[in-house]
Amino acid sequence: MTAKAPVRSAPAPRRTTPAPRRRRSTRRGPLHPATWAPTTVLVLVLGLIWSAIATEHPYILPELSEVGLALVDRPEVFLTNAWTTLSIALAGVACGAGTAFVLALVMSEVPVVRRALMPLAVVLNVTPVVALAPGLVLAFGFGMTPKVVVTAIITFFPVLINVTTGLRAVPPSVLHVFETLHASRAEVLWRARILYGLPYTFAALRVVMPLSIVGAVVAEFVAAGSTGGLGTMIRNAASTARLESVYAAIACLAAMGVLMLALVTAVERRVLFWHESQRRAST
Amino acid sequence: MTHPSTDLTDGIRVRGLTKTYAGGDPHRPALESIDLDIGRRRFVSLIGPSGCGKSTLLRVIAGLEDHDAGEVSLFGSTPRALCSAKAIGLVPQAPALLPWRNVRRNITLPRSVNRRAGTGGEDPDDLLRAVGLGDVAHRYPHQLSGGQQQRVAIARAFGMRPELLLMDEPFSALDEFTREALRLQLLVLWQRRATTVVFVTHSVREAVTLSDEVVVMSARPGRVHEVLPIDLPRPRDASVVTGPRMHALEDRVRASLQSAWEAGAAPDDLVPL
Ligand SMILES: Nc1ncnc2c1ncn2[C@@H]1O[C@H](COP(=O)(O)OP(=O)(O)OP(=O)(O)O)[C@@H](O)[C@H]1O
Ligand SMILES: [Mg+2]
Repeated sequence: MTAKAPVRSAPAPRRTTPAPRRRRSTRRGPLHPATWAPTTVLVLVLGLIWSAIATEHPYILPELSEVGLALVDRPEVFLTNAWTTLSIALAGVACGAGTAFVLALVMSEVPVVRRALMPLAVVLNVTPVVALAPGLVLAFGFGMTPKVVVTAIITFFPVLINVTTGLRAVPPSVLHVFETLHASRAEVLWRARILYGLPYTFAALRVVMPLSIVGAVVAEFVAAGSTGGLGTMIRNAASTARLESVYAAIACLAAMGVLMLALVTAVERRVLFWHESQRRAST
Repeated sequence: MTHPSTDLTDGIRVRGLTKTYAGGDPHRPALESIDLDIGRRRFVSLIGPSGCGKSTLLRVIAGLEDHDAGEVSLFGSTPRALCSAKAIGLVPQAPALLPWRNVRRNITLPRSVNRRAGTGGEDPDDLLRAVGLGDVAHRYPHQLSGGQQQRVAIARAFGMRPELLLMDEPFSALDEFTREALRLQLLVLWQRRATTVVFVTHSVREAVTLSDEVVVMSARPGRVHEVLPIDLPRPRDASVVTGPRMHALEDRVRASLQSAWEAGAAPDDLVPL
């Protein structure tokens, strides 16, 4: 990564043709119309199509105005349910990603553990969690526990794989320097491996944070009789054909996902200021 | 310069060193029967065709690589013992700086690991000034040019006052004038700190400018072809480096390199002319 930068300065090629016109900079501020106009136009078009369908077939899509009204009418209902789902998602990420991170560290240091665990982790990953959820609900009851477990299982594998890869992403020359200093394994882990693994860890988090919402909602769908959460709300509203509530809850879920992603990206930008992936953003 | 002492415990002694890489051709070891003596506080360059095992030899001396036969003794002890005393400074071909540490904290890295072997060493700010980087101490590696990064790596290696400094083509990615400037800077640092240096290079001029001895190696198998003493006076200032004696020595090393190249088998992938 810090490889030899080519410093050799080649002589400037002589221009025989007139200098090409400077291309307009492709990077613009968020307020420039070119940044927001395409998305806005697309959203307007989609909105029009939506409205057309909603007026024709009110049982396929609700009117957008009704969705908006549902949100404005009872904001506290959506907020408390969103909070319930969010806390399940966050607790799940904390457990799943946290366990995966620690296990990746152990696996990088103890090869026997890696050989023992990797096949199991792969099997767990290919098992559909939706299929797992009813059994978990049966085992842990209708409280938060089964939902957190489902979310944790969903977020576990991407973090495990990425961190395992990241811990090995130390350039050999850096390892050589540590080795000639007779650094202990713990020092190499702490002062090089984990930090070189951080870009991989953040990449995993960017995938796993929105995924945790999926996990929480699926768990709420499956846990019949659970009382809170946007997933429960969607299930109940759908069963009584209150489409506008369904879509209002979906809008809340989307907003939560976007916020989580924005949060991870903001933290990543500060922590990984030294990494190539952040170079363009910082200058 | 003092003559290399005959005392076995004083200096680097390599005897009958043979090394074959796993999966490599056993009839053409990467290194074959290397014998080499380097006196304490000498500056010795390794030069030779690509693939002759210079980097391998350097790694074996640093204890980073196992070998099949022969022995390596550094000042009467083993590479491992010297590493655990933090007495070896390594400057790899790539600068190998930690990108999340600023220049000053990169230079102090050696004192923050393996603390049992001591946390002293040179004052980092003195070192930074000595390599002309006093004003970028708080920058990060990605904000430096390639030459600046190499200077940081060199300062880091000098930081623990190592007994032995191993450098693998540290200037290979730099332009000719930057190289020249860094060579002189390196000599100033070395002369003041008086450590033993093994320096790998591809540049004949670099080898002659810097060294007390030039070890010419031949390839496939990797062998020591010839050891040429460089009896130029020190300090090697501009008058020495441009003098006729210098040119004669350069020609001598170049001729030796030529015969080393002819002695070694051609690389398998080299297209015959
Ligand atoms: N990790 C490795 N595994 C197998 N063979 C290797 C390995 N490293 C080096 N070799 C082989 O050992 C020989 C010596 O390699 P080495 O890197 O020491 O050469 P070198 O003299 O440093 O070359 P250069 O000047 O190109 O850096 C080469 O033939 C190379 O192919
Ligand atoms: Mg090499």
